[in-house]
Amino acid sequence: MPHNRGMSSTSRAPNAVVRAFAECWRAIRYLVIGGGTALLAMIGIIGVVSMVAFSAIGVGLPAVPEAARLLHRLTNLDRRRAAELTGTPIPEPHHPLTGSLGERIRTVVTDPATRRDVVWLLLHGPLGLILLALAIGLPLGGLNQLAIPAYWRLVPGGVPGALDFQVDSWAKAWASVLIGLTYLGMTLLLPAAARGHARLARKLLRPATGVRLSDRVAELTASRAAALDAHGAELRRIERDLHDGTQARIAAVIMQLGIAEQLRGRDPDAAFGLVRKAQDTAMDALAELRDVVRGIYPPILSDRGLDGAVTALAARSPIPCLLALGKVGRRPAAVEAAAYFIIAEALANATKHSGAEQVTVGLDATGDTLVITVGDDGRGGADEALGSGLAGIRRRVDAFDGRTELTSPVGGPTRLRVELPCGS
Amino acid sequence: MRVVIAEDDALLREGLVLLLNTAGIEVTAAVDNATDFRAAVAAERPDAVVVDVRLPPTFTDDGLRAAVEARRLYPGLPVLVLSAFVENSYAAELLADGAGGVGYLLKERVGRVEHFLDSLRRVADGGTAMDPEVISQLLVRRRADDPLSTLTAREREVLGLMAEGHDNSAIAGLLVVSDGAVHKHIRNIFTKLALVGDEGGHRRVLAVLAYLNAAQGS
Repeated sequence: MPHNRGMSSTSRAPNAVVRAFAECWRAIRYLVIGGGTALLAMIGIIGVVSMVAFSAIGVGLPAVPEAARLLHRLTNLDRRRAAELTGTPIPEPHHPLTGSLGERIRTVVTDPATRRDVVWLLLHGPLGLILLALAIGLPLGGLNQLAIPAYWRLVPGGVPGALDFQVDSWAKAWASVLIGLTYLGMTLLLPAAARGHARLARKLLRPATGVRLSDRVAELTASRAAALDAHGAELRRIERDLHDGTQARIAAVIMQLGIAEQLRGRDPDAAFGLVRKAQDTAMDALAELRDVVRGIYPPILSDRGLDGAVTALAARSPIPCLLALGKVGRRPAAVEAAAYFIIAEALANATKHSGAEQVTVGLDATGDTLVITVGDDGRGGADEALGSGLAGIRRRVDAFDGRTELTSPVGGPTRLRVELPCGS
Repeated sequence: MRVVIAEDDALLREGLVLLLNTAGIEVTAAVDNATDFRAAVAAERPDAVVVDVRLPPTFTDDGLRAAVEARRLYPGLPVLVLSAFVENSYAAELLADGAGGVGYLLKERVGRVEHFLDSLRRVADGGTAMDPEVISQLLVRRRADDPLSTLTAREREVLGLMAEGHDNSAIAGLLVVSDGAVHKHIRNIFTKLALVGDEGGHRRVLAVLAYLNAAQGS
C-alpha cells in the first residue's frame, strides 16, 4: 500500500512500544507464575529428599510410583508453561508406569527423565524465586524511584532510596530518577530472561537426546513381536477351526453320499436317509464356516463400515447400550476388525461380569487414531490378570502399537479406553 | 406366482430357477446384480422377489439395499432375502415399514425345499419368514427382570416359531401338539409379555418381532 507509507512509518514507533510493553507483560506473568512453581519445586526437593531417605530404610518404597506421578505433574506444569512461551511443545519423557509395584519402582528409578526432573527442581527452585523477585521488583521499584522527586520532601528525614542511601536532597532525588530509569531499562530485559528460563526448561524437561528414539524402537519392536504373535495365534485358531470343524464335516458329507450311492439299488430308503443326513451335515459345516468367517472379518464390517457394525453390536448387547459415534469413516480393514473385536469383547465382559444396568460405547477418531471407550455402571474390580478377555484386548491393541487404559475400582464404574493408530 | 431372482452365484441362481420352476412358480427374470434387479422389478412387476444380500456392483449389501428400495417404490412387494450370514439389524431394516411380506433366510435353507417353498408362499401372501438364527439371536436372555425369562421352555419355543412367521396350525404341526395347546401357549405368552393384538395373521408376527427388537435395542 504505497499511499499509506507516510502513515505507517509514524504508527510503527507506537506499535513497537506497544509490542515491547506486551512482551514485558507476558514475561512478567511467566516469571511470576514461575515463582509459584519454584516454590512448589522447593517443596518438591524436600519431598524427593525424604522419599529417598524413607526408601533407603524400606518404608517409602510403596509410595515411590505415586511420588513419581506427583513429580511428573509438577514438572509438567513447567513443561506446559515453557511450551506456551516458546511456542514449541515439549513432549513428556516419562516411561509409562504400569505393571506390578516392583516394575513401577524399577521404571521410576531407571528412567533418566526422573533424574532430569530432580535436577530441574534443584535449578528452578532458587532460580525461579530470584526471577520472581526481579519480575516484581524491577518494574515496581523503577516506578517508585521515578516518583521520588515528587514526594521525598513530604517525608520528614527523607525516604529510603535504592542502594541503601537516604534521599534527603534534590541531588539524591534526581539520582533516584536515574536509578529508576536503569531499573525500567532492566525491566525491558525480562523477556530475554523469561526466554532463557524457558529454554533451560526445554533442555532439561524434554526427553534426553536419543532416549525418545530408542524408546520408540523398543516399543515398536515389542508391538511388532506382539503383532506376529497375535497373527500366529489367529492363524493357528483358524486352521484348527477349519480342520476340526468344516473339513471333517465335508469329508463326512462325501462319505455319506458315497454310501448312499452304494445303497441306492439295494435299499433306497436307507440311501435316501443318508442323503438327508448328508444335507444336515453340510448345513452344520456351513454354520461352522460362518462362525470362522465372523471370527476373521465380520461381514457386516465390509457391508456397513465400522460405525454400522458397532451399531449392530450395540443393538445386540444384552445390557442396554448407549452409543456415541463420531465421524470415523473407513479405516484399514485390520484396524476396523480389531476395533470391532475389542468392542465386542468389552461388551461381552461387561455382560458376563459387571452386573451393569447400562453400558456406554464411544467411538471417535482424532487425526490418525481411533479412540474407543467402553464404560459401564457395574460393580467394577475388573482385573487384567484374571480376565482373559481384557488381556486379549490388550494383546490386540499392542499389536497395533496402540494404548489401553483400564480403570475399574471395586464398586465401579469400569472404564476402558483404547487408542488404535490407523497409520501405516 | 411370478418371481424375480437376484443371485450372483451362477450355480445357486440356476438351482433356484430349477427349484421354483419345478414347483410351478414362474421365474420371469434371474439376474446377477443389483442394477439389473432394479430394472427387472420395474419391467416385470413380479408377485415376489428373491434377493441375495451381497451382490455386485460393490459386493457389499447392494441386494439388501435394492430390496428395501424396491419395497419403497412398490409398497407391499413381497421380498425374500437370502444371505450367507444373518444380521439382526438387516432383518429390522426389512421389517421397518411394518407392511409384512418379508422373508430373511440363510441361503442353505433353500436345501430344505418344502420349507423354503412354504416360506416363499408365506411371504408372497403378505406373511413373514424369519430365519431361526435371527430369532435365536433375538431371544438371547438379556437381564434378570426380562419378561422373556418368565416364559416356560415350551412357550419360548412357540414364541420362536411365531416370530419366524408360522401360523398356529404350522406351529402345532412342528411341535406335534394340538391346535388348542398352541392357542393356550400363545395366550400365556401374550399375557406375560403384556402384548396386545389379535392372535393370528402377520400383524401378530410383526408385533412379536417388534417386541423382541425393541427389548433388545433399548
